[in-house]
Amino acid sequence: MSAAIEADNLHSFYGKSHILHGVGLRVAEGGITALLGRNGAGKTTTLRALIGLTPPRQGRVMVFGVDTTHWPSFRIAALGVGYVPEGRHVFPNLTVEENLKVPLERPGPWTLPRIYQLFPALADRRRNRGRQLSGGEQEMLAIARALLLNPRVLLLDEPSQGLAPLVVREVFRIVVEMRREGISVLLVEQNVRMSLEIADYAYVLDDGSVVHAGSARELAADPARIAALAGATAEQWTDP
Amino acid sequence: MTQLLLFNAINGLIIGAFYVLMALGLSLILNLSGVINFAHGGFLVLGGYLAYALTPYVGFWGALLIAPLLTAGVGFVVERLMVRRVYGRDPLYGLLLTFGLAFILEDGTRSIWGAQGLPVSIPAVLARPLSSDFFFITGYRLFMVGTVAAAVFLLFALLRYTRVGIRIRAGTLDLDTVSALGINVRGLRSLNFAAGIFLAGLSGVLAGGQLGLEPTMGTGLLMPGFVAIIVGGVGSLPGTLLGGLLIGLASGVTAVFFPSASEAVIYILMAVVLMVRPHGLLGEEGLLT
Repeated sequence: MSAAIEADNLHSFYGKSHILHGVGLRVAEGGITALLGRNGAGKTTTLRALIGLTPPRQGRVMVFGVDTTHWPSFRIAALGVGYVPEGRHVFPNLTVEENLKVPLERPGPWTLPRIYQLFPALADRRRNRGRQLSGGEQEMLAIARALLLNPRVLLLDEPSQGLAPLVVREVFRIVVEMRREGISVLLVEQNVRMSLEIADYAYVLDDGSVVHAGSARELAADPARIAALAGATAEQWTDP
Repeated sequence: MTQLLLFNAINGLIIGAFYVLMALGLSLILNLSGVINFAHGGFLVLGGYLAYALTPYVGFWGALLIAPLLTAGVGFVVERLMVRRVYGRDPLYGLLLTFGLAFILEDGTRSIWGAQGLPVSIPAVLARPLSSDFFFITGYRLFMVGTVAAAVFLLFALLRYTRVGIRIRAGTLDLDTVSALGINVRGLRSLNFAAGIFLAGLSGVLAGGQLGLEPTMGTGLLMPGFVAIIVGGVGSLPGTLLGGLLIGLASGVTAVFFPSASEAVIYILMAVVLMVRPHGLLGEEGLLT
């Protein structure tokens, strides 16, 4: 299977602190790849390196076979990379509908009517401002916004963060739906159990390095290993 | 007395309309690019003089549109070549750069058109007073206010209803996310800068018709422009609109009672507003970070 995104030996810094120590990973086309790890392991930094918001100081990023390492993020996104940032980053001063008009209009199957069909809650609140939405609605809006770019690969940064269990289920259902639509997904999560349930492949990041890479199913079957690798705490294993 | 008050209040609102036009351009640029454009007054002067140079060929009405467009074109090039390099740096870089640009624009005009003031002829239809009772409301003054109102209306409509406008508003708060959604934010900033400069150029054309042209005419309008932004609340364009009208009106009304304080009053007003509402009338905490 060919790769949607391939990263090699990424080294990233925030000021003087060395965050990523040679991270390498591969997002297979048509699959869900999970990137797991505890807080501060470097997951978000890795994602920001892939989309070009925090360019790596060393290493290489390939998106659909194109070297995008030093590209600005808008050029990378224009290749068909949808990005749902940590904390959603919905535009608070814009209405829901305006939020959905921000992304580049790449040709593809996703249109505003279809988005409203998939997310009826957003259709109901299309005239409300971003800041008036609940956390779950904001997450839906951030995903919908990324979909309107008609991405070929979707980068999701902790979509379940701070959401009620029922809403988390809904978000994960949508992620699975995306795979059925043929969109490759890179899912950054702290919710290890649910991520491994839907992912095909999994990486575990710790202290800025990849400490495990392998099939999601095998990892899911080995809780002791996850606990050791990701420093998973008890609450991440509670049933959502 | 009533007529004097009315006269000065209307005068103040007309001046306020200028402040609004200046301040909206400054505000657009500040909000999306984080640059405090000290060269804005220089672009105003350039717009006024370009209109003067164009009028013999395209007439007053042609110059009214073409001069601001040319000024915006110059702004676009200046942004691409220079201003863009200071984005994301310490604000001091932007201040120094635009301060220098202001001098270049002002001295450039002086060396081309001379240091002497130049009169600007306006169409006769605009020069007449409306009636003898309201001799101070000339057609030109109404025309200026109408043009400013149209420009403001158009700007707000563009920002509200077009995708580019929506993206500019989104970028004001979170440019990184706009970029990650595939939007060429460099181009967006250039376009936005040019739009701000268009407004400066338009102010120059309008001001020239009322006051005549002088290479230093931009300086007097620049500081009130900043005050309008601060009074209205940094980051809020409706606030800027309100702030400009308010300080113009305050300045006009004060001219009736304490003529010598008519300039100082806008700073007093700013101080009072900042004491009561530290983020300005319509500003929101943390809107511009």
